[in-house]
Amino acid sequence: MKLHLPPRVSPKTFDAMLTAAAGVVGKDWVMATDADRDAYSDTYAPGDAEEWPAGAAIAPANVEEVRAIVRLANEHKTPLWPVSRGKNLGYGNAAPRLAGSIVLDLGRMNKVLELDHKLAYCVVEPGVGFFDLYEQIQREKAPLWLSVPGNAWGSVLGNALEHGIGDTSYGLHARNLCGIEAVLPDGDLVRTGMGAMTGNPAWHLFPMSYGPTFDLAFSQSNLGIVTKAGLWLQPAPETSLELVWDIPAVDDIGWVIDTIAPLKISGLIDQNVFIPSWLGKMVLKGQRKDFWDKPGAIPDARVDELLKQYGLGYWQVALRFYGDEGVVKAKAEVVKAAMARNLATPPAEHWWHPGDYIHGIETTMGIPSAVPLQMSDWIGGRGAHMGFSPVVPATGKHVLDQMHRSRKIIADFDVDFYASFTIGGRFANNVNMLMYDRDNAEEVLKMRRLFDTLIGETAKAGYAEYRTHLGWMDPVMDTFDFNDHALRRFGEKVKNALDPAGIVAPGKQGIWPAAYAANRGGKA
Amino acid sequence: MKHLILAAGLLASAAAVAALPPGPPPGPPPPYQMRGEAPAGDRLKPGGDGKVLFQVHCGYCHLLGGMGTNLLTKQRIMAGDTPDKGLLANRTDLTADYVHSVVRMGKGAMPVQTKVDVTDAELDAIAKYLGKAS
Repeated sequence: MKLHLPPRVSPKTFDAMLTAAAGVVGKDWVMATDADRDAYSDTYAPGDAEEWPAGAAIAPANVEEVRAIVRLANEHKTPLWPVSRGKNLGYGNAAPRLAGSIVLDLGRMNKVLELDHKLAYCVVEPGVGFFDLYEQIQREKAPLWLSVPGNAWGSVLGNALEHGIGDTSYGLHARNLCGIEAVLPDGDLVRTGMGAMTGNPAWHLFPMSYGPTFDLAFSQSNLGIVTKAGLWLQPAPETSLELVWDIPAVDDIGWVIDTIAPLKISGLIDQNVFIPSWLGKMVLKGQRKDFWDKPGAIPDARVDELLKQYGLGYWQVALRFYGDEGVVKAKAEVVKAAMARNLATPPAEHWWHPGDYIHGIETTMGIPSAVPLQMSDWIGGRGAHMGFSPVVPATGKHVLDQMHRSRKIIADFDVDFYASFTIGGRFANNVNMLMYDRDNAEEVLKMRRLFDTLIGETAKAGYAEYRTHLGWMDPVMDTFDFNDHALRRFGEKVKNALDPAGIVAPGKQGIWPAAYAANRGGKA
Repeated sequence: MKHLILAAGLLASAAAVAALPPGPPPGPPPPYQMRGEAPAGDRLKPGGDGKVLFQVHCGYCHLLGGMGTNLLTKQRIMAGDTPDKGLLANRTDLTADYVHSVVRMGKGAMPVQTKVDVTDAELDAIAKYLGKAS
């Protein structure tokens, strides 16, 4: 990819920045060839990856190098785009929002600094991936379980900071963060919570600060660069039981939510309950052409045939309990009785006891894997995906309303419907997975129009997305319209105060510093 | 354990050769979920152990059970090869140049790897290890 310079930065100044940075991190860790820029582009870009081009990448080895690079970036007015490991697949990978930004790749900062077996937490640097942490836990035989996303290549901290969601009792990953160290946009270094006191041993245990609590202000944020953080982990349970129901019809999702959400809210169910539609299971069975070889959405009649042939329901509820066997049994009876009011078929039951084989592709047991990414092979070619991810109240009424609307829009665009709902408590998180071939220009264009339509129509109905791809960060922020977009105005006041040169991740989540206000928009 | 069964299905033919446990017996994690530790020292220094570096930097997809192995096993079978050739380490037709190019250019579902993911020195050692046809 050719060089794109940031706004108002001359080639000479850009080179001077890179030369100065090489003095900090070493020349090999300043990456500025065309091939390097390709490596930091959006692998799954809906269209040309040059829409979100990095100017270069710099990889510091420690917090002092991060601080030095931030100071240099202020001096040269070169915006930085920090990434933990740069594997934010489906949302932009490592690519920056503002063209020409220098990716600050924290992948070399990959130490597990603490792993506390008793108080069940870790302290990690941003470059630690889920596989790395899992392996460290295995090596130490620590009685701890992870909560993982579908792609475990990614960073543990990066995923939590981007509000990633897993399918365990610890599945709201941002909620597990406790005690953050961050480099501020002027190069200053701050520690939140009890860590604000030098050497305080409760830093990663007590989740609030004395006074305003800023931890989550560094999530989906451009207010600082997180260089390490504490993260609570689930104690390994004594036993675990999975109950699996195949739910026959598409509209059954309404009663399923009304059955499960109250039990989740009451605390009887600990887990984030993930409910994918049938296509989530089919993508692992082969390629689309093996099941339907025509363009356009798979017709309902063929879907019915496939469900029969493979013994699938339209939805699948795989609900998992963790803990003492007697307690798990008792809880399971309550849920089984509640589900039996609408579904006569009893669930399949899968017990796990310590010593049983665990290392499959079991995200509900915190096992890291990249295998769910095999769905990128469903369409074939340079497979890619984007997720349209609104949040709705966890009631059957809201979920059906959301599902009917997005299903109709997706059908109108003649695209396969692949949805999931995750019940995380009082809300249900709806991910609509859109899979496409990056090299089919017509299909890419259709997906982009579809994405625009989904955002617009969903906002009209009063719901918003919790996370989105680079290309839609501004349109989604636009949907948060209360009091003339007061949330954005507040975010930008804070941004401008902390980062007058606007050098940390300008445009992240639609928060634009004054220095780059002219770059707002650029709608995908 | 439905996911495990699914995975076993994908690997059914590979399993006969490469011996992934067919059911859920007790045991350690499969190789792709228990890579060796990264060698200590300067990642920019040439002459590293290609096998170790392959396991550390490519292993979570390309060891037994990994996503890359699963996809490649299907591809190799379709190409008339034996299923064990889904593991890159069993391939005899790869050249070092080809390994370089796939890692730095990407291929199919595999994204381009950055120099932080794998340094040039590490890639040289890995390409030498995998490039048995060079």
